[in-house]
Order: sequence, then structure tokens, then C-alpha cells
Amino acid sequence: MADNIKSNKLSIWDKMKNEKVTAFFFCLPALIPLIVFWIGPMIFAFYLSLTNWDLMMPVYDMVGLENYRQLFSDPRFYDTLWNTLYFTVGSVVPAVIGGLLLAILLQGKIIAKTFHRTLLFSPWVTPLVAMAIVWSWLFNPRRGLINFILGSLNLPVLPWASSSTWAMPVVIIVSVWRTLGWAMVFYLVALDKIPDTIYDAAKIDGATFWKKLRYITLPLVSPTTLFLSVVLTVEALRAFDQIDIITQGGPAGATRTLLYHYYQSAFQRFNAGEAATIGIIILLISGVFAIAQFIISKKYVHYQ
Amino acid sequence: MESGQNKRYRLKDKISKITLNLSVAVISVLMVFPFLWMFTSALKTHDEIRAFPPSILPASPQWGNFLETWQAAPFNLYIFNSFFTATAIVALHVITTAFFAYAITQLTFRFRNLLFGIVMATYMLPVPVTYVPSYIILSRLGWLDTYQGIIFSNAVSVFAIFLARQSFLQVPTELVDAAKVDGATHWTILWKIFFPLTKPIFITFGLINFVLMYNNYLWPLLIIRSRELYLITIGLRQFFIEQGAYGVNWPLIMAASTIVVTPLLILFFITQKWFVKGVGGSGIKG
Repeated sequence: MADNIKSNKLSIWDKMKNEKVTAFFFCLPALIPLIVFWIGPMIFAFYLSLTNWDLMMPVYDMVGLENYRQLFSDPRFYDTLWNTLYFTVGSVVPAVIGGLLLAILLQGKIIAKTFHRTLLFSPWVTPLVAMAIVWSWLFNPRRGLINFILGSLNLPVLPWASSSTWAMPVVIIVSVWRTLGWAMVFYLVALDKIPDTIYDAAKIDGATFWKKLRYITLPLVSPTTLFLSVVLTVEALRAFDQIDIITQGGPAGATRTLLYHYYQSAFQRFNAGEAATIGIIILLISGVFAIAQFIISKKYVHYQ
Repeated sequence: MESGQNKRYRLKDKISKITLNLSVAVISVLMVFPFLWMFTSALKTHDEIRAFPPSILPASPQWGNFLETWQAAPFNLYIFNSFFTATAIVALHVITTAFFAYAITQLTFRFRNLLFGIVMATYMLPVPVTYVPSYIILSRLGWLDTYQGIIFSNAVSVFAIFLARQSFLQVPTELVDAAKVDGATHWTILWKIFFPLTKPIFITFGLINFVLMYNNYLWPLLIIRSRELYLITIGLRQFFIEQGAYGVNWPLIMAASTIVVTPLLILFFITQKWFVKGVGGSGIKG
């Protein structure tokens, strides 16, 4: 009897040994949520962008490319595009350059290196919502510490988040603060992999710091630079927390990025069609960015 | 006997070493300054925090601010909700990742590379693009404003799959072959050989994803309505609004931020080497 059950079980397991069946069942737990919440919604978003649904009514019409036409004839949309570009370049470039500089500094003979690395990385770990609140207090125009310091240095006191000129720099500073140490850690790993012998050889040849940076370090860390700029760009395109807490897209739309526009259309104005359209545009832009960065990299990135 | 030039060189070396250390120390302090300012502000009185010029430290620390904050909003409930959902999500990540990475690396089937390519491509996706459709899907499932809605919509981590695949590829094939000869099933090989051997990578992505989920804001903001289900980030934002976003009650708001941030800072300081490993080592060539 017991033997019987055992052999029955074995035969099931024998079937399981069939790789294709196993593969199917092993992929399933990951694939179901991926299809339901990622890939499916992607396709669904494209469909929604062709409708005028308001998220509540059971009926809606197919409107073709009307949403796209309206969006592209809306001057606010171009402001949003510009803000997105401003925010993306403004937050990615300093994070990548600053991350590399920090990593180079930390490569030197530093006391308590691990401790510094931990401190520098910590902003990335903490909830951005909480820290954006703290930053909005630091940047408070009337009573914030930053204006106090500027004032005591006889520098102009700025209206920060309440002015359409300075709101974006505030949001960018908070974003760079968060990602700087994160980028640094990637560069630390990349710098570690460069053999000392290369630098020693350059030293014998009398290369200066800048020459070594230009001809050894930069080319050898270029895969990391590429990776970071792609990932940080995607992250910049989906930045939300700091904008929502500090400026809510304002003042006068000065910090309304594509994603914030998307959020407002969908969940404040309940225009699912328009929101989905903006979503598709965000998707296209990140696709173009990623492809462009990889094409550029073909020329400048050196894989060892 | 030392030559003068050598001495001068040594001195120069020493000065540059000191400058280097000083500048790194200054940068580190600047980076963590917002944490320090948050903490000291949380201990100030209303008058102190609004004083201009601001004082660095409170005259006498107002520890009562924390108590008052805790009484004003159920932060323990919010923290529980965040810890509970983040833990459940990470547990799901472990399962979905292990199975998928095993299938991708150890089994041969049609469209394997295509499948992996599609999954990796979703990593480049700006996720919020899926939020409107996912919201509709969740509402059809009746999962809006529920724990399972938060948990299952985050059940897969492409980042985790990427890391696990890399380390699964490094498991020696002899081990797998030996196990197969002994008649081990794929299930056994996965959980008795691969999982124990690659545990560090699971710890790494587990911690990183835990942090990401604890910090998650926009998606829960969209799908959670009832106060009992608020995650910590939503609870904090609500508190921020209720206490007057325009500086009415900054000490309490800073105290609330401290309550939200501290558990993660502690977790991070204890486990920092795993984070650095996962972030830095996530397998870029070069």
C-alpha cells in the first residue's frame, strides 16, 4: 500500500522531470503578477489612450488619436516637457559627476572609509516623503536654515519653492542629495576593479592627476557611467514624491513634470484617456533615451 | 639622512592627506545634516523652531513632542502596515525570483531567452505608466484599498530576478549533475542546492526591496483609502497636511518624520554591507 502511493508520487515527479512542464510551473509565479500588473497594463494603457474614459462611467467612446492631438496642441504640455527635461538633466548629470568625484575622493587614504561610505549612502535608504518634508523646512523662505545662512553670508535670500524660478532647483537639489551616494557606491566598485599597475605605469610616465582621470579612469568606468545615466534617467522620469511634497507641481506649473501631469490627469481630473496618453509618451521618451544612450555608448564605452 | 626635498615632499603628502580627510568629513556631515536638523528640530518648542536666527540645539529637549505626535496619529499602526506589507512582498519576491531564475538558468525550453529579454525590458519601464490600468485591474478584482492589493501588485521584482540569475549561473554544474544522478527533482535541486548557495543575494535584494517598499509612496497613495490601511509614507503625508503644511506645527512634523526615518536608518546601519554589495555588485561588466 505504502509502496503504491510512493510509486504513484514518483510517477508525478517523473512527469515533473519533463523540463518543459517544470519550466512552465516555475515561471508561473513570477509571470502571473508580471502579466497582470506590468505587461498587461502596458498594453491596456495604449488602448486607454485611444478612449475618452473618465474612470467612473461604464461607457466610453473610442476617440482614436484625439487625445494625442489635443495633448500636442496644448501649450501646457510643452511646458511639462521642458520641465521634465530640466529636471532630468538637472538631477542626473550632477549625481553622475558628483558620484564619481566622491568615489575618487574615497579611494584615497581616508580614515574610517566604511563609515563615510555608510553616511554618504544613507539618503538613498530613507523615505523620500519624510526627507522632502525636512528639506521643505530647510528651504522655508522665511524661517528656514538655508535662507538664514545665505542672509548671514550677505548673499541674496531666495523665495525657493514659492517662486517659479527657484522651485525646480529645490526639487533637483533634494533628488541629487538622495542619489549622490548611491551613484558613488557603483563607482567605488568600478574603481576597485581598475588594476593598480595601470596607475603605476602612468605615474612612471609622469602623468598628472587630470591626465590619469581623462585617459585611465574615465574610459575604464564608462560602463558604470552608462548604466547610471540610464537608470537615473528612468528614475528621474518617474520622480514623484519630492515634487508632491514640496511643490505639488507648482507654483504655476513650474515643477509639473510629465509624470506629475499624468498623476493629475488621472487622479485629480479623472481623465483616464489623457493620462494614458501621457503615460505612453513617457514610455516612448524613456525608450528613446535608453536606446540613444546605448548607441552613444557604442562609441565611448570601453568594456574590458 | 634625509634630503630637504624628500622632507618637503613628505610634508606636502601629509597636508594633502589632511585636506582629503577633512573634505570627505565635511561632505559626509553635509549629507547627513538633514537628518540631524530633523532630529534637533523635533526636540524644539514652537517658539524655538520659529526663532530667527535659528538655534542649533533646543534649550531643553522637548521629548514630549514625540508623545504628542504619537497621540495625534496612529504611527504604530502605520509602521505595522508598512512592515507587514513590505515583509509579505519580500517573501513573495524570494519565491517568484527563485523559481523564475532557476527556470531561466537551468531548464531548456522554447522562447527562454525571449522571455528573459521581455522580463528584463520591464526593468527599464517607467512603472507609473502602468498605474492607471493597474488601478482599474485592482478595482475589478475588488482589491482596491486592501492589503492583498498592495502585496500582489508588487509580487515580482525584476531587479531581484536579475541578481538571482547572475548568481545562479555561477553555481557549479558538477553539483547539479551529481544531484541529478542521485535522482533529485528540480524542486529539491533548487531549494537544497541553489538557494543555500546563493543566499547572500537573496538577503541583499530582500533588504533593498524591503526598503523600497517601506518608502513606496505614489502607488499606495492611489490605491489605499482607509486610514487603518495607511502605509507609513501615506500616514506621514496626511499628518503633514493636517498639521498645516505651511509651518503651523513644525516640531511635531519633524518628530513624525523622525519616527518614520529612524527604523530604516537603524536597519541600514546594521546591514549596510549587504546594501553596498547589492547596489555596487549588481553585475555591470567592466
